[in-house]
Amino acid sequence: MKFLNLRVSQGPVKAPPSPAEISAGMLTHDAVGPISLRSINNLHENIKRRVYRGLLPASLLADFNIDPITYIGQNNSPSVEVTALPDSGLAKIMVLAPDGAQDPIATLELSDNTFNSIDLNLMVLNQPDGSRFATDVDLDGQPTIYGTVRRNLVEEQKAMEHGLAPGQIRSGLSASKLVLNQLETFLAMMGHRAYYLEPLTYASAWVFERRGFAYVRGHKLMDTIHVEFQPGGQLHASLDVSTPFRQSDQWKTVRGRAWAIHDGILDVLDERWDNLRMVKQLGKSADVVTFPESVY
Amino acid sequence: MVNSYKMTRAAELEALPIFRDFLDSVCKEHGIGSEFRYDLKLAMDEACTNIITHGYAGMNPGSIMMEVQFQPSHIRLSITDFGLAFEPVETAAPDVNALLEDRVASGFGLYFIYQTMDEVEYRTTVDCNMLTLVKRRHAPDAA
Repeated sequence: MKFLNLRVSQGPVKAPPSPAEISAGMLTHDAVGPISLRSINNLHENIKRRVYRGLLPASLLADFNIDPITYIGQNNSPSVEVTALPDSGLAKIMVLAPDGAQDPIATLELSDNTFNSIDLNLMVLNQPDGSRFATDVDLDGQPTIYGTVRRNLVEEQKAMEHGLAPGQIRSGLSASKLVLNQLETFLAMMGHRAYYLEPLTYASAWVFERRGFAYVRGHKLMDTIHVEFQPGGQLHASLDVSTPFRQSDQWKTVRGRAWAIHDGILDVLDERWDNLRMVKQLGKSADVVTFPESVY
Repeated sequence: MVNSYKMTRAAELEALPIFRDFLDSVCKEHGIGSEFRYDLKLAMDEACTNIITHGYAGMNPGSIMMEVQFQPSHIRLSITDFGLAFEPVETAAPDVNALLEDRVASGFGLYFIYQTMDEVEYRTTVDCNMLTLVKRRHAPDAA
């Protein structure tokens, strides 16, 4: 018996990014073929800069008086750093704070992945004004890598009380929608249909859900977390005030849950906050909601 | 303008009744009869079960996205996942004429899908796997 009605189409082939430069053929013959960052990075410096100019929203730069073409900001100083080395599949863009403060306003890091697609490794959007919390270094001055390898409990508690989420050193810029929309336009231009990321915290996963992402891994874990934070659940019961990050009312908010998870509360479920992976299909919203009627 | 409805849930067996109810509900809204709805739900159930048990096997499961489109001539059901790709051409069709004791337990899900749907298309790309099922509202003219 044959399945007469079945049509199968496969492709493009999952292959490592080509190290070759973008050829005239790539640009003229196949407008849907994805172009890797490695290919862009191998372009002439000026062309590369023109291409990566499309990654940053001009309105974001304008808000900080940074010229979107020359990247010259206040005090006539270069205010955007682009790191995109030849033969590398990684691009990092940093928008520097106007007063030369140590924390960039925006940091975006993208890389080619092994499926000829793109990973968003890092997106940090900092409000340059206001309080700063040194959650990025521990009490010995060692980097915490967003609290993943070490913790500065004193600064984390201050940050939490100030309304920040785990991994933040300053309040956010409230520009993730703007930046991600721009990223989609950039990736569409490069022929990509989707991009991927691994959310650093529960709060970031929640933000990315609202931006239309689905889960490659971890959707069930997010559902489980929501169920277990309800009254009667194991996570709810573990908000036992044993640490400053496990206050009894934290189950009610995204940030409260995020801090408790950052504090290791998932141990009671024998789960860990890692290995989640999310995907955004360009132009589509997955409409995932794992925390209905949530309060941030 | 196509009438389109979407739902995304975690790829777990507990999601199946939710998908079924959703599909049933939107079909009723469009005046689809019970036998037609049964076929759609059966095909959806088999496809999602396959994704849950094979596509996301061995990992904390990701999402299944379902989209139903109502067009004058047909209904299109798209099921998207991000797990391991399925290889339908490598799957042998079950022998429905075999004696009961000689039949293998697997393979009938696909068989049901092919029997109930008018078109079945499976597409796997770098960004997703998508199964598209089409069922025509009326049988095409014999002429």
